[in-house]
Amino acid sequence: MQPTPDLWVLVALVGLPFAAAAATPAVTRAIGNLTAYYAAAVAAACFAMVVALAGTHGGAAVTWVGPLSVSVGFYVDGLATLVGALASGVGVLVFCYSAGYMRDEPGQTKYYATMLAFMGSMLGVVYAGDLVVLFCFWELTSVASFLLVGHYSETRESRYAARKAFLVTVGGGLFMLVGFVLLASAVGTYSLTAMLARPAAARSAVENAGLLLPIVTLVGIGAATKSAQLPFHVWLPDAMAAPTPVSAFLHSATMVKAGVFLLGRLRPVLIGDDWTHLLVPLGLATMLVAAILAVCASELKELLAYSTVSHLGLIVAGFGFANVVGAETGVFHLLNHATFKAALFLVAGLVTHATGTKRLDELGGLRRDLPVTAVITTVAALGMGGVPPFNGFYSKEFLYEASYEMAVHHGGLAWLYPLVAVVASVFTLVYALRFCSIFFGERPATLDVHTPARSLVLPPVVLAGAAALLGFGGIAALFGAPLDGLEGFVGSVVAATLPPDTHAHAFHYALPDHIAPAVTMSGLALAGGALCFLRWRAVRTVVRALLDGAPVLRADCWYDRLVFGANEASARVQRALWTGHLRTYAAWTFAGVLVLAGFGYAAAGLVVPLALPSLGITLSVVLLAAVVGALAAVRAPSHVAGVMALSVVGFAVTVFFVLASAPDVALTQVVVETVTFVVFLVVLDKLPSYYGRITRSRAARDAVLSVLVGALVTVTTLAATGADPDRIAGYFVEHAVPDAGGHNVVNVILVDFRGVDTMGEISVIAMAAVTVLTLIVMRERGETP
Amino acid sequence: MTLILRTVTRVVLPLGFVVSFAFFLQGHNLPGGGFIAGVLTASVVALAYLAYGLDGVEHDVLNREVQTAVEHVEHVQHGIVRDYQTLYAAGLALAVVAGLVAILYGVLTGTHLTFMTQTYRSITVPLYGHVELASAVVFDLGVYAVVVGALLTVISVVGAE
Amino acid sequence: MSDPEVVTALALGVLFAAGTFLVLRRDLVRVVFGLLVLSQATNVYLVTVGGIGGVAPVVGHGEGHVTDPLVQALVLTAVVIGFATTALLLVLVYRTYQEHGTIDLDEITGAVR
Repeated sequence: MQPTPDLWVLVALVGLPFAAAAATPAVTRAIGNLTAYYAAAVAAACFAMVVALAGTHGGAAVTWVGPLSVSVGFYVDGLATLVGALASGVGVLVFCYSAGYMRDEPGQTKYYATMLAFMGSMLGVVYAGDLVVLFCFWELTSVASFLLVGHYSETRESRYAARKAFLVTVGGGLFMLVGFVLLASAVGTYSLTAMLARPAAARSAVENAGLLLPIVTLVGIGAATKSAQLPFHVWLPDAMAAPTPVSAFLHSATMVKAGVFLLGRLRPVLIGDDWTHLLVPLGLATMLVAAILAVCASELKELLAYSTVSHLGLIVAGFGFANVVGAETGVFHLLNHATFKAALFLVAGLVTHATGTKRLDELGGLRRDLPVTAVITTVAALGMGGVPPFNGFYSKEFLYEASYEMAVHHGGLAWLYPLVAVVASVFTLVYALRFCSIFFGERPATLDVHTPARSLVLPPVVLAGAAALLGFGGIAALFGAPLDGLEGFVGSVVAATLPPDTHAHAFHYALPDHIAPAVTMSGLALAGGALCFLRWRAVRTVVRALLDGAPVLRADCWYDRLVFGANEASARVQRALWTGHLRTYAAWTFAGVLVLAGFGYAAAGLVVPLALPSLGITLSVVLLAAVVGALAAVRAPSHVAGVMALSVVGFAVTVFFVLASAPDVALTQVVVETVTFVVFLVVLDKLPSYYGRITRSRAARDAVLSVLVGALVTVTTLAATGADPDRIAGYFVEHAVPDAGGHNVVNVILVDFRGVDTMGEISVIAMAAVTVLTLIVMRERGETP
Repeated sequence: MTLILRTVTRVVLPLGFVVSFAFFLQGHNLPGGGFIAGVLTASVVALAYLAYGLDGVEHDVLNREVQTAVEHVEHVQHGIVRDYQTLYAAGLALAVVAGLVAILYGVLTGTHLTFMTQTYRSITVPLYGHVELASAVVFDLGVYAVVVGALLTVISVVGAE
Repeated sequence: MSDPEVVTALALGVLFAAGTFLVLRRDLVRVVFGLLVLSQATNVYLVTVGGIGGVAPVVGHGEGHVTDPLVQALVLTAVVIGFATTALLLVLVYRTYQEHGTIDLDEITGAVR
């Protein structure tokens, strides 16, 4: 049994980046460009804590919302360690890279503070031991990503991209939240720790509630938006408007990995046929479409963005397969992709920095000017293309194996899975080689290359080194000397994503030494890819023509239509509702109340109780006086006459209170009525005796609405007085003397039982006085003329 | 008219104060309490304003100079409006303190009372007899002060216009 | 089941109808009138729902069914707050008149647009 993690280490791990982000403004002011190394040091400290936690397993929590069984809970296992290590480790490298890339740029404070906050949010997602905590940090990553993608806020593309990324990921997060709530209501707790401790019990609870498919769909949408799966992939290519280190960090190793992380996290609980049938087609379709789009890309980062989408599709499909190899695919490719893709993003930034262009067509033959970078790129890009013995090859092998296993098992249409995987891999190799080709061939004469700063070269070297090491592991394993530590670690991550009853074998990967179905598929894909690359211009032309014929595949259109359509629709609604006429608002309010209450009564099947009038003659006469007064106020020819009529209403109501055994209310009312009368007369003296003419049609319309409101009130009163609800009045009457020592129950309620309410009410009175003072006494100090 | 009103006001004013005081005191056991007493006090003062005018009350009763036209502020700033503001602010503070005392008491005695918990004691006063003294009276006094202060602020500000 | 208060229900219906009609007028003072009528009617409604047949909620004051003290406490504060808000509304009307020179809502809207 592994030791359980220490809560305070976890709190420090997640809290440190946020604290560091808060301190960033002061740091930037003090050390300027060196802030990058401050941030890198923070990331390194986080990485150290991740490593320190690596040996532990289990949850640690403090209660947050007790009644809802929500806690600030953290959970540590292999999966958390892997993604946490990527978030902090790649963080260190990206911050070091930023030292060169962001040097002397404006907005450094914003940049580093947001990057640190993002890292904290990502660590929060990864180590969350509670669904609510996970959701909160999940949305925080979206917020941070919004700020980072929109870093160059003065350009239109940045703002568009930031908003797009935000809307898509946050919108998906809301679907995920609904899924979480359903999941928690079925299982009975929000605690991930509890669910993952007994996944089988959680799963059967979900199945018994009949919620498996909805939960899988909702959580799947959340993951698909974050990890840019079809048709939500639209945000990622646009998000390339961000500074390159941001793309390297968010769009290769962390933020987009949150989605697949979520799938891995909930895989033990939710896996089943629904899960497979949803995620495998989704992942493979994304893999194929995005690979094709990447082939058509004309810019470095655009190619990488589509490639990221494609590889995320691979991971999603891997996690989708129910077999162990599927989990191995997802986990191992998660690691491989982070290494080679982060390296390639950094290379892309470096090349653009050195040459001043980001267009693929303008680049070529850079290997003489940037030899180190050329080596890095070759290692990383061949890994991306799945060429043996580079790292991407192994995880792709696992995918072939998983899809083949599934096809053999299910037969029929399931054979599409291996087929799509192979075809997608063909395109993957094409764009990988295309990326590589900027270093080979002839250098365009117009190209002017600067030597890049060392801080720009070192981080991708480290990442490519990691990728190469992963690839080397496979070669070493072929010769019987596998990297045991690495395999053991990946194995522990795989175990975290398996349902408990699975018979897992130890994780192992190696270059193949015999012909297996997966090897054949690899061979086909590589041969196809190589052939296509030789004629890649032709391939690109064909694919571009296809895309132009069917713009739906570009899929920007649905987003634009939705968002800009919503903008226009809300403008239209606003014009219709916001007329500036008080009467319009009042009429809508009354009509709304009518509809809602009427609908409610109808839905509840209200039967209006009727009886003969039981009220005494005195009270009836008093009420009649009030009614006459009110009608007189409506028909009053002048304001003063209206006030007179109103005081008839007021005093009639006073008498009503007296007769209705409400002496306190009556006493108050009689005094207030008098003072109101005086204030009215004082103010009316200053106002014109204007009285608006009523057109007949308007009067008729208002009269209809008024009569409807009156009828609703009559029905409500009948229903309310006809019912005999449980009253808490008895409690107050019984307890007034023994508990509060007072006989006047009304006063006891006011000052004792419901004292806090009274507190609020006297605050309202004081506020009214303050407002009157402001309106009258202080008006000369305001900006009004 | 004014003469009659002033004469009546002279008689009614003290009576009104006494009645409102009585309402306040008996509030816990008979109809009355801070709200009613406050409204009554305010209305009695309003009557005095009607009879004597704001300046009259300020000048004759309180012996204060009426400040007029302070720089560009054309509104007449009566010192008494300041006093009313102080009154409702103090009332609000008193009410809050009356609630907080319970917490403090709870902490000191370890009984964990919540905000606004009230209590009472029965005491015997010589000659008068049995009296129940409720801690809620303090809160009620705060209510009274807020009602009087706020209503009179409104009335005097509106009246001054 | 207690008997429904038919008379009060009808009276309240008319009071609310009158208040609604007043609120929909162009004349701002009438709008204030309408709100006043509506708040009075609401108070009557609350006291009615609390039961109007019983004895006053003062312990030892009489025998038998006691009216609901809770709604009375509610209405009592509502009356006082009602005064404060009415005064505030009137001041608002007055200031509107000062700013716009009219208390006709249609004209004010026209001036704003």
